[in-house]
Amino acid sequence: MTGILSLKNISKSYGRIQALKNVSFDVPAGSVFGILGPNGSGKTTLLGIVMDVLRASGGHFTWFGNQPSEKQRRKIGTLLETPNFYHYLSGQRNLEITAAIKHKPVTDIERVIKMVRLFERRDSKFQTYSLGMKQRLAIASCLLGDPSVLVFDEPTNGLDPSGIAEIRQLITDLAKEGKTIIIASHLLMEVEKVCTHVGILQKGSLIRYGDVQSVLGNEEWVELSAPDMEKLRTILNQLAVVKKIIPTENKFQVYLNQPEADPAMLNQYCFEHGVVLNFLQVKKKSLESSFIEITENVSN
Amino acid sequence: MPDFLNTLRIEWLKVKNYRTFWVLLVVITVCIPAFNYVIYDFTDNSFPKMNGMNILGSPFSYPNVWRTVPYLAGVLVFMPAILIITLFTNEYTYRTHRQNIIDGWSRSRFIYVKLFEVFLLTLFVTGIVILTVLFFGFLTRTATQPKSGWEEMRNMLFFFVEMLDYSLIAVLFSMLIKRAGLAMGIFFLYMIVEQFVVSLGRNKYKMTWVDYLPEEVSDRLIQQPFARKVLSTENSAIWEKHVPLYLAISVLYILIYIMVINWRFRKTDL
Repeated sequence: MTGILSLKNISKSYGRIQALKNVSFDVPAGSVFGILGPNGSGKTTLLGIVMDVLRASGGHFTWFGNQPSEKQRRKIGTLLETPNFYHYLSGQRNLEITAAIKHKPVTDIERVIKMVRLFERRDSKFQTYSLGMKQRLAIASCLLGDPSVLVFDEPTNGLDPSGIAEIRQLITDLAKEGKTIIIASHLLMEVEKVCTHVGILQKGSLIRYGDVQSVLGNEEWVELSAPDMEKLRTILNQLAVVKKIIPTENKFQVYLNQPEADPAMLNQYCFEHGVVLNFLQVKKKSLESSFIEITENVSN
Repeated sequence: MPDFLNTLRIEWLKVKNYRTFWVLLVVITVCIPAFNYVIYDFTDNSFPKMNGMNILGSPFSYPNVWRTVPYLAGVLVFMPAILIITLFTNEYTYRTHRQNIIDGWSRSRFIYVKLFEVFLLTLFVTGIVILTVLFFGFLTRTATQPKSGWEEMRNMLFFFVEMLDYSLIAVLFSMLIKRAGLAMGIFFLYMIVEQFVVSLGRNKYKMTWVDYLPEEVSDRLIQQPFARKVLSTENSAIWEKHVPLYLAISVLYILIYIMVINWRFRKTDL
């Protein structure tokens, strides 16, 4: 089955520089698809191509299983790079233009402008808005007409910590409603909290893509310590499920031969073998460490 | 609402609360009759008289007024060009040309509606020119003069073509340069450089091809209206003979500009 967005061998060159190299992937319906990559990896270029503001040098893509067209773009709420509005018009008037282009009712403006907490400033000119307010207005414009697909490129740019948390919550809520969300970001924490699928771009190449667990893994380990670290190591080495033990400053990182760690079992085992633990914590690999591991492996 | 009307309505939403648009439109509307009135007042519709002879003719009376007003308005075509450059480069400055496409316009729709706006503005300014002609015709009417001189109305078409020619050059520069100040500067520089080339080429080196340069050829559509009594009738005959060619080449330039503008906007990265 083809996805909401399906890319086949998309390439983009700027003279000698190849910004994208044969990128292919599908975005499944209802997924929150994170496009990850460092600055300059091609994320925005990729979104620019699928929104028809950049021309691909090769390959093709489809939206909703059809050739891309203006009618399909009207069904998508998109925030690409910076918020782009007429500076001399108010937030309200700018959204009226967006609503007219998208063929959405102007009556929906009040709902979306309240969602992003700009209702009180709706009649102020866009040029008087702070960076965070501009970003929020752009998100409001994406939400006009309640589209089933949303494309966000660095959606938390310019927002303060509470604004970032609000947008993250908004994305989570939209995902719960079954919307398909494509989100490009270099802020891995941002993506880690909301994405179901990821694609990792590096120097224009898609090096991994799929659901979050399959791409980034769900490796867990247990960190533990005891007053007698030598005895702890000895008994852990005797336990069949222990794959490896990595000593750190004053703890052991214990990796097990099973997908999920079982701290209760370990605690009981140690206690029964005369070791009382004074520290026990299950740790999971962060998206950041997985990302660095993947990108370094590919570079090497 | 039919699709194209909705597109036009969106363009209206962009400008209806834009003060600069209204200021420039008022300036254009006022300057065309005002500039004509200054010349009318200065020449006293016949000044100077030599030995009692009215050597300038009566440029602001029928039928000459149909030539005089568009000729003088032709000097002011840079004013609508400034408005066009402002409106067009705003889209680049605010990157709203990209946003309009992202939100659901095709590239063709964006560029066609912009070109249609230029067409409407040209029509509007031509309307101002016609009203100015009627005003001066009424002001200078005498019992012995022809009532209107409708046969000279073709100059309205020539003015329309001349302004469209300049306006599309303004669009082209806006699209290529993307910055308002720079685009205006290059536009004026081009006007001056072309006039310099035309003067030098025609007067010093007797080159005739300079008459067919993009702005010069459309300038030549409207024959200069002053001192017609002392100009040889031969000049008028030559102009009559060449005017279909000037018109054809001007229209050709317009078509080329439209094709280049359309091609560039549709094919390049925004």
